[in-house]
Amino acid sequence: MFQQAIRVCAIALACALCTAARAQSNNELEEIRNQIRALKDAYESRIQALEKRLKAAEDAAATQKAAAEEAQGAQQAAAAAQAAAATAPPPAAASAGSQNAFNPAISLILMGRYANYSQDPTTRTMTGFLSNSNESDALGPRGFSLGESEVTMSANVDHLFYGQATFAVGPDNNTVDVEEAFAQTTSLGHGFTFKAGRFFSGIGYNNSVHAHAWDFEDPSLVQRAFLGNNYSDDGVQLVWIAPLPVYVELGAELGRGANPPGSNTDKNGIGSSTLFAHIGDDIGTGGSYRFGVSTLRTSTNASGTSIVDIDDRTGTNSPYVGDTRLYGVDFVYKWAPDGNTKYQNFKLIAEWFMTRRDGTLLFNENSAGVPEAAEAFKLHESGWYVQGVYQFHPEWRVGLRYDQLTEGTWQAGPVATAGGVTRPEFTPWRYSAMIDWNPSEFSRIRLQFNQDRSQIGLVDNQVFVQYVYSLGTHGAHKF
Amino acid sequence: MKLAFSLSMALAAALITAQAHAAINVFACEPEWAALTKEIGGDKVSVYQATTALQDPHRIEARPSLIARMRSADLLVCSGADLEVGWLPVLLHTSGNEKVQGGQPGSFMASEFVSRLEVPSAVDRAQGDIHPFGNPHIHLDARNILRVAQALGERLTKVDSSNSAYYQQRTKEFDARWSKAISEWEARAAPLKGMKLVPYHKDQAYLIHWLGLVEEMNIEPKPGIPPSAGHLTELLVKLKEEPADAITRNAYQDPKAVEWLSDRTKIPGVTLPYTVGGTPEAKDLFSLFDDTIARLLKAKKPA
Repeated sequence: MFQQAIRVCAIALACALCTAARAQSNNELEEIRNQIRALKDAYESRIQALEKRLKAAEDAAATQKAAAEEAQGAQQAAAAAQAAAATAPPPAAASAGSQNAFNPAISLILMGRYANYSQDPTTRTMTGFLSNSNESDALGPRGFSLGESEVTMSANVDHLFYGQATFAVGPDNNTVDVEEAFAQTTSLGHGFTFKAGRFFSGIGYNNSVHAHAWDFEDPSLVQRAFLGNNYSDDGVQLVWIAPLPVYVELGAELGRGANPPGSNTDKNGIGSSTLFAHIGDDIGTGGSYRFGVSTLRTSTNASGTSIVDIDDRTGTNSPYVGDTRLYGVDFVYKWAPDGNTKYQNFKLIAEWFMTRRDGTLLFNENSAGVPEAAEAFKLHESGWYVQGVYQFHPEWRVGLRYDQLTEGTWQAGPVATAGGVTRPEFTPWRYSAMIDWNPSEFSRIRLQFNQDRSQIGLVDNQVFVQYVYSLGTHGAHKF
Repeated sequence: MKLAFSLSMALAAALITAQAHAAINVFACEPEWAALTKEIGGDKVSVYQATTALQDPHRIEARPSLIARMRSADLLVCSGADLEVGWLPVLLHTSGNEKVQGGQPGSFMASEFVSRLEVPSAVDRAQGDIHPFGNPHIHLDARNILRVAQALGERLTKVDSSNSAYYQQRTKEFDARWSKAISEWEARAAPLKGMKLVPYHKDQAYLIHWLGLVEEMNIEPKPGIPPSAGHLTELLVKLKEEPADAITRNAYQDPKAVEWLSDRTKIPGVTLPYTVGGTPEAKDLFSLFDDTIARLLKAKKPA
């Protein structure tokens, strides 16, 4: 019934257009109609397809003069009709981009997992390290849990700007987090790009990678300890690419200092600043690398950032007030045979970060006998990780990662020393192994095992089964 | 130390760019467009070819070297129609080069100038990684090259107007040579009409359409999805019932599946160049088509 209606409409429309179209087009439409009639009895489904094509041909005849002229050319009427029916009209330039009319390109990320921890994640810490985000929150719940559901929208704003926003819907408390929301220039030229809004900082390598694109289920210990997983800020960024045959990128950011390792600085002016530089090139036909250095400077507001139980013994909950500087070195190397990544490829990532804090630690009186006091406090610590991921089959990848936080030096005042607040001699470390199955570019199912020795006296064996699905716009990933 | 290195690199590069200032910089996404730009642009263009015939153009890393080259490009020549959707947007957004952004004269997408095949009426990723704007592998219909060459010639005169007479002249010459070549290829390929192909991916569609071949099926169960053992067995059964004339792959596609099927069905497995550099014989656009047709004719030869 419906099909009949479509057919009638299509033919009616064809007739209406017949008068306007050239003789050649008439022949063309006639030809298709004849074909339809001839096939009607035998191939009901094919008729439907041809009708669609007929409609396309009509559109082409009506709107595309060029198509009509082409059809009028040397080709015979039948051949032309077939060609016009089988091909789309040459589209207007606007339709050939990847964005849908004026709607932003939208992509949706769905993540979820099953986690098995041999130690209770709610009581886990990283001994000796100022875990800025609550460690138990960072590990997430045991058992089944939903990860972040992310929606990203992006489009050119106009001829000068491009805008993008990523909203992450948390699995609990129904919170919506604006992970990134920024506009950037497309037209400054000379290699400059200026960005304003909230965005993942360009420091390091993995920091600016969204969780769904990580090669492991969880971030590295350094990212967790020093960067709050993904360090982002509200501010501005200027990046310059040098006019050289090798890649040289220089970048700087100014922000409010809203997030750890700082805390909302609550002042006019600049609360955080970063600088970064990257250099990169190809090595042979199959390899390429990027090497970078970066630094971040930020500070806390008067109430400080909470340092939870710094030595895992005293039960102190001591706010730290002062400056934080972070220095990082990052390296990425990727390789594929002949540079053809589809069947096999290898990726090596290594990052090292060092942080220095210089300020005041506020001690609350506590059960361990530390009296209330505020005294100078200096801390110097570092950490690194190295990970390799090998895709050995178009659908399968395996990866290994080693993580370590390196105990540095700390200088506390007499009150803390007398109260027995000491830094234990302990080096937190962890190793991880994962295998993931990628049936297409849009889905990933991962099995990961961690042995986590980041808390003194504990071995936490962790197993994750995770899924990551990308819906909508085909994402483009950075190197 | 690093600073000194960077500075010396900068200096060296400045010298190189000063010397090469005469030519405009073209960033060509694929080898076929690099070759075409050289045909039309001659010595007035300096072409950087971003990918090789051994690389799957869908799956390219947005490498630092590509960003660096994009930074200095005056003209971008790509297939478009979302073939490069997985990597080109990153290059454009990070290059800080306003000249090559979409809609600018410096952004040339070849697929905008031809009629595209296989434009889906509805898109759903359950059908694989399909292209909503139609099949983007447009260059294997030699007639499309002619249309793109015309448009590219016009674009070059726009981007580099001081050499417009030169580009017009070369476009005309290319047009004449290519038109002649098309008639030769069509004559040579006449025996191929109706030849049944099983290509690895839907990237021979334009060749098939142009020369009147038949695409029986693909080795990939769905575009972009590699074949499983089960799917290959299914293909084997189908091909034994209804044999095809050749099973084809491009240089960057897995040879194992083609060999496996070819061994069991005795249908010749053929490696097609697909683009310039895909076989030792395909040295430029002309030899690309010479070689493609020669390889198919060889496979067609009755046993």
